[in-house]
Amino acid sequence: MFTKSIRWRLQLWLAFLLVSVLAGFGVTVYQLQRLHQLNLIDEELDRRVAALTAALHPPPPQGWGHFDGRHGPRGTNDDFGKGGEWGRGPGDHHGPGGGPNDGPGRGPGPTNDSGPWSDWPPDWAKPPGMPFSGPGQDPFPRPPRDFPPSTELLALMDHTPTNLLYNVIWYNSGNLLRSSTNTPAGLLWPKELARSAQARHRTRGPYREVVHFTEMGACVVVGCSLEPFWKSMGRFVGLLSLAGGGVLLAGLAGAWWLLGRGLRPIAQISAAAGRISAGNLAERIDAAETENEFGRLAAVLNSTFARLEAAFAQQSNFVADASHELRTPLAVLISDAQTTLARERSAAEYRETVESCLQTAQQMRRLADSLLELARLDSGEERIKHEVFDLAQVVHECVGLVKPLAAARGLKIHDELAPLRCVGDPQRIGQVVTNLLSNAIHFNREGGEIRVTAKADKQEVHLTVADTGEGIPAEALPHLFERFYRVDKSRSRASGGTGLGLAISKAIMDAHGGALRVASEPGVGSSFTVQLPLNE
Amino acid sequence: MRILVIEDEPRLLHNLAKSLREEGYAVDTAATGDDGLYKAENYDYDALVLDIMLPGLNGWEVLERLRKTKPTPVLILTARDATKDRVKGLDDGADDYLVKPFDLAELLARLRALIRRAAGQQRSILELGDIVLDTRSQTVTRAGEPLTLTAREYSILEYLALHRGELVTRTVLYEHLFDESDDSLSNLVDVHISNIRKKLGRDLITTRRGQGYCIET
Repeated sequence: MFTKSIRWRLQLWLAFLLVSVLAGFGVTVYQLQRLHQLNLIDEELDRRVAALTAALHPPPPQGWGHFDGRHGPRGTNDDFGKGGEWGRGPGDHHGPGGGPNDGPGRGPGPTNDSGPWSDWPPDWAKPPGMPFSGPGQDPFPRPPRDFPPSTELLALMDHTPTNLLYNVIWYNSGNLLRSSTNTPAGLLWPKELARSAQARHRTRGPYREVVHFTEMGACVVVGCSLEPFWKSMGRFVGLLSLAGGGVLLAGLAGAWWLLGRGLRPIAQISAAAGRISAGNLAERIDAAETENEFGRLAAVLNSTFARLEAAFAQQSNFVADASHELRTPLAVLISDAQTTLARERSAAEYRETVESCLQTAQQMRRLADSLLELARLDSGEERIKHEVFDLAQVVHECVGLVKPLAAARGLKIHDELAPLRCVGDPQRIGQVVTNLLSNAIHFNREGGEIRVTAKADKQEVHLTVADTGEGIPAEALPHLFERFYRVDKSRSRASGGTGLGLAISKAIMDAHGGALRVASEPGVGSSFTVQLPLNE
Repeated sequence: MRILVIEDEPRLLHNLAKSLREEGYAVDTAATGDDGLYKAENYDYDALVLDIMLPGLNGWEVLERLRKTKPTPVLILTARDATKDRVKGLDDGADDYLVKPFDLAELLARLRALIRRAAGQQRSILELGDIVLDTRSQTVTRAGEPLTLTAREYSILEYLALHRGELVTRTVLYEHLFDESDDSLSNLVDVHISNIRKKLGRDLITTRRGQGYCIET
């Protein structure tokens, strides 16, 4: 059921979209936060490494009285590269010739091998790509062999006020120089990392560590537990999920409201359209907001409904009229028979009843014929011939048919027409002309006249039948060709007309592609004009 | 009983009037709405038979205007058979609705019922002591013995019986028992009354001198 509602479908799609976007956003933010936090931790570790590195130096050899003054303010990683602390006089270690070392910290080397430098192991790992080129040219200073840590270093290593950081230092021989008390178990000399003097950050189990090899191969490892970090990240994830959920809910609620608002016109339209049925075509969609798309849709639908209503009303009127026209003569017929049969009657009374019945039956036959003819014309079943014929001849024959009627009312018919070549169905056109003539006779005044004229241009033939009757009221003219429409009901009913003559004539002319028009001036007369196209 | 028939189809109007007169009704006719409304407003008919599709005022308009002044029972007799027309007719104040073509017997029965109900009677048999009027067959019996009354005498008796206990003036009797085509003398009612008394006994109808007649309950 939900899948059939646009609102639900859009809502589901939107939820899917929102969840995807929020998830992507959340993951990104999480990663950024994680990196940022790690970075902060690493920076702190690096600072400690720098401090330790700075404090890590062999005890000054004899005669290096000034040494302490050299390494002055301890400090940053930058100091590593300069070889500040340990890089004093490596050349001196190998002999008096000295090396190319002429760094700023160079001092007079010791003169014997009894100093701490003499224990430099032969397996001293050099930085890659820096082969020994000879004793005299060794670019790297020889670090001292295991030496006791300075008090400064010891103080620094044990200085773990928050107990968060732990530090371990190995000599380049792999012997442990010192490990802080809170160092987790299982931390070994990371010999495999001794390839670069760069500090390496690594995550080892639940610990974050920085491994730094000093220039002389001593290894400084500073680490801390990641537990607080993961805790804080957990809290962050919680907050992020909460915020994301809130945004999702707000977004969905807003979307639901917007969708409802946006789709409300559709609901209105469908409700209104649902109320519209054959019995209730007056219903209209409220198209107050005609500016938007729905308003235009509503307007279009409303005009369709209006046309439908008009068509239905016409149809329903026709059915009601036809039913009335058929029932009335039937009622007459039945009442005639029943009234007469109710008592014993004289032969004259029976005769009168039978005559009346016959007359009524004939009227019904005319009506039935007319209705059938209209139905055939409506459905297009009626074949309209396309023959060449002389309109003047047809008119002449029709006038011949109605002449006795006209004469009975003292009417004179003028029908002097020149031969006029037309294309169409001469019988049908004759039917129209006869109908117009008989109307002109019925609705004429006593002793009036009827004038039949014709004129032709290149496209059409116009045949006009004009009478000298009372004319037709202007308000009746638009309805004149409607079925069963009668200007004066009592009069035409009495004359036995079906009320369909003009409707049939108009249908015949429509089938010819022509037209039937009326003009009337009350008191002067009416004229009906048949327009017959010639181009066929 | 006097009935007005408003119908524009002349043959039907003729047949209706003829049948109703043969049933003992006084019948007035009108072929247009305007004529019909005028008559309906100016006489107290016992019932009205009204067509809808009429020249001039149509049946709806006649009914609407008539209902402003008169409660005359109206039977709509029309070819319009749609339910909404029937509903409209009855809602607009018509008392009955009959669709053409119709059976004459049904129309007559419905008219009898309308007239009976308008007089507050439920049954088509009126009992005045041992005298019984059957409005269906228009016969009168006394203790089971049939009595022979003329159509006029029956009409007067039926009218007085329907309005039992009411004072019925001579004018009212005239209005209800003679139609526009009757050319009657005023003392004719007295003659009919005296004939009825001869057949049914003197006590049935009392005369209130200078006022009219009455059948006491």
